[in-house]
Amino acid sequence: MTAGTQMVAVTSNAERQRSRMPRWYRRREASILSFSGLAAFVIIWQLAADLKGLDFTFFFASPSGIIEAAGKEVQLPRFWDDVATSAWELLAGSGVALGLGVPIGLAIGWYRRVGFMFDPWLNFFNALPRIALLPLLVLWLGLGTEMKIAAVSLGAFFSIVVPTAQGVKTVDRNLLDVGRSMDASQGRIFTSIVLPATVPYIISGIRIAIGRGLIGVVVAEFYAQTKGIGVIIVKSQQALNSDRMLFGIILFTISGILLSYATSLLERRFQKWRPGQDMEE
Amino acid sequence: MTSAPATQDLALSARGVRMEYLDRGTRERFVAIESLDLDIKQGEFVTIVGPSGCGKSTFVKLVNGLLSASQGEILVRSVAKGKSDAMVFQDSALFPWYKIIDNVSYGLVCAGVSKKQAHERAMPLIKLVGLGGFENKYPYQLSGGMQQRANLARALCVDPAILLMDEPFAALDAQTREVMQAELLRIWRGAEAEGGARKTVLFITHQIEEAVFLSDRVVVMSARPGRIMEDIRIDLPRPRDLHVKRTPEFQEYQEQIWQLIASQLKAAASQFGGSKE
Amino acid sequence: MTVAAPAMTSRGPERSRRRIKIPNERLFYAVLGFVGLLVVWEFASNFDLDPSTPGVQGLVKRILMSAPTLIWKAGVEDFSSGAIWPHITISLQEWFYGFIISCFLGISLGLSLGWFRRFRLATQPLVSALYSTPTIALFPLIVLIAGIGLESKVILVVLASIFAVIINTMVGVQSVSWKHLEIASSFGASQTQIVRSVVLPTTIPFILTGVRLAAGRSLVGVVVAEFQAANQGVGFYIALNGQTLNTARVFIGLVLLGGFGIFVGELVRLVENRFDAWRPSIHR
Repeated sequence: MTAGTQMVAVTSNAERQRSRMPRWYRRREASILSFSGLAAFVIIWQLAADLKGLDFTFFFASPSGIIEAAGKEVQLPRFWDDVATSAWELLAGSGVALGLGVPIGLAIGWYRRVGFMFDPWLNFFNALPRIALLPLLVLWLGLGTEMKIAAVSLGAFFSIVVPTAQGVKTVDRNLLDVGRSMDASQGRIFTSIVLPATVPYIISGIRIAIGRGLIGVVVAEFYAQTKGIGVIIVKSQQALNSDRMLFGIILFTISGILLSYATSLLERRFQKWRPGQDMEE
Repeated sequence: MTSAPATQDLALSARGVRMEYLDRGTRERFVAIESLDLDIKQGEFVTIVGPSGCGKSTFVKLVNGLLSASQGEILVRSVAKGKSDAMVFQDSALFPWYKIIDNVSYGLVCAGVSKKQAHERAMPLIKLVGLGGFENKYPYQLSGGMQQRANLARALCVDPAILLMDEPFAALDAQTREVMQAELLRIWRGAEAEGGARKTVLFITHQIEEAVFLSDRVVVMSARPGRIMEDIRIDLPRPRDLHVKRTPEFQEYQEQIWQLIASQLKAAASQFGGSKE
Repeated sequence: MTVAAPAMTSRGPERSRRRIKIPNERLFYAVLGFVGLLVVWEFASNFDLDPSTPGVQGLVKRILMSAPTLIWKAGVEDFSSGAIWPHITISLQEWFYGFIISCFLGISLGLSLGWFRRFRLATQPLVSALYSTPTIALFPLIVLIAGIGLESKVILVVLASIFAVIINTMVGVQSVSWKHLEIASSFGASQTQIVRSVVLPTTIPFILTGVRLAAGRSLVGVVVAEFQAANQGVGFYIALNGQTLNTARVFIGLVLLGGFGIFVGELVRLVENRFDAWRPSIHR
């Protein structure tokens, strides 16, 4: 027996930190913090803009200025025309991307050799900022809506093809064996096993594609400068109207948020099979 | 501070330990452990068995200092060198990004020993648990049983006065578990042969057979709220091997403990059935 | 009456068809796909429906689509004359500064957002709003503030790429396992030791994913900035040659961008593999 040693009380080395805040606060801490964080940001921004000493508003606009600009803007028919244009570009472009991307992704995933053949080109286009194709699109399609739809769908297309092919490749082999053991035809196996298993992958592709599509809208409109929210932003810059410019940018933010919310609703609907992580690129 | 003369040869002494939890979901308090007293002598192998949810895992976490008790006091013997206690966790508790040798020497590195020295001190233990030659493998390259050997070596490496084992073999298949039980006893003796005093072990399991086979004493806990129902001395000769499981004495111990736990389960079942509204 | 016995058919795993075995199928088909498309492209651009007006009435209009050989010729020209190097250097510069700033700033912000819960909650609305914004829409604003020099482009590159780093790093920190933290604290690890032995090893693969994505988005930032306001750079080179119907040179720019993207992606992937030695079979 070791002599001279003695008993000591165990003290927790990971003493839990109890919040000393009142209970009503602890319950709603998340929303309280989020709200006050946002409120603080807006207030500080406004106060900074109101400091007359600095020539600040010229560059940064101010929350009140943006609201004012928005109020003026929404009364103009031209504004709604711009919004409709951008929305149509995004919608049609995404539609084209989805309509082409899903079948091609399925084919690449299902036919091994087709996949191999597409591999170098997919890798190339995946690594290439698709937006760099814009001058070519202008060359081919002009400055009109077609060009912008093409830009959007090029942006979104690869974000759909890659996860779709990935989804087909990772279909559970056991399920395929079940299908084969029941003598299901290739077509039946495809529609009853492969397709449903791939849907969640397609949706996570859509999530990424939305961001890419929005970038496509913005850059194409910046580039062509004919119509759309992007044009509002560029024209405001030229007119040094930073309030209206930020209003335009915020419109893109809002549509980004709304669309990604819509995707998460879609995702939740298919949660049962959802893959573990979003697959970017 | 308790300093009664009787504590002279104790390794651990728990007095009136009570543990309450606040359920985050339902916001209800429940009592995991209700007034638990337990003494463990130095060099003793003590196992706590009990139905799931009886607070046995909570108790070792209290001893290890991972949780702090709501009431009561736990005393452990302080040691001049090494750590007073170390935990062998349940399955897959190795750091997957460290090689076996880095996992085993983790406690030493945390204690400020240089990496080189820690590796030197870890090697004999890696050999003792039968992992010689695997020290540079990553955990995923080892089977479940081998991972638990490494887990054991990691705890032994800090030379603890008490070894705490929280259902270490629960995730293993039946055969591997039997092998590991025998191996644990071999290692326990081996560690004794290597460095002086026999290790005190506090072992948690829900397997009665495992408890009887390994222990000097089996402490049976009741279902929630957990308290000690019976403290049974296992007088089976040591060293034991797996044959001992077939002796009538062994079966008797098993039967006795099973009766205790079964009564608990029945009581819990009827209470659950009765309280249904 | 005789009962017709069901015919026995052989059912190997490979039903029907005998094939010629190709040693490296993957490579074979990749080369086939790559070269095949180039050949088709070349052929189509040389196939004139009306020989009197070459390149105008073809299956594809050469002036709009160029052709692999034309691109090659223009490439040799521009590289040997050195006309293209200033564009490459300036773009590399913009990319590099932006990318490095994104990585450093993004990783530190991501780590603190992941680790400090209250900080994360308080900034959540702002971060997720910016994350959903196509940040390149901010370029006109940046130009107002920072002019049209290198600074404004670097700022855009940072804005385009930093959120990929922040979000991935943050998710990485949040995916630290409670059990591993418990083990560390059981063995008496200090705060720094916990960060070094648990938090970083868990987070690094996530960080690297973020870095890989950021490399690509930085390139997007470079191109957009150069489309908008530049007189040099690969993006400018593409835009200018597009406007002057110099299609072959547009493709040169695209090849440069795509090649660089692949190169950087593979580079990060090498680093990723090095940090993934402990993971079972996720090597791609």
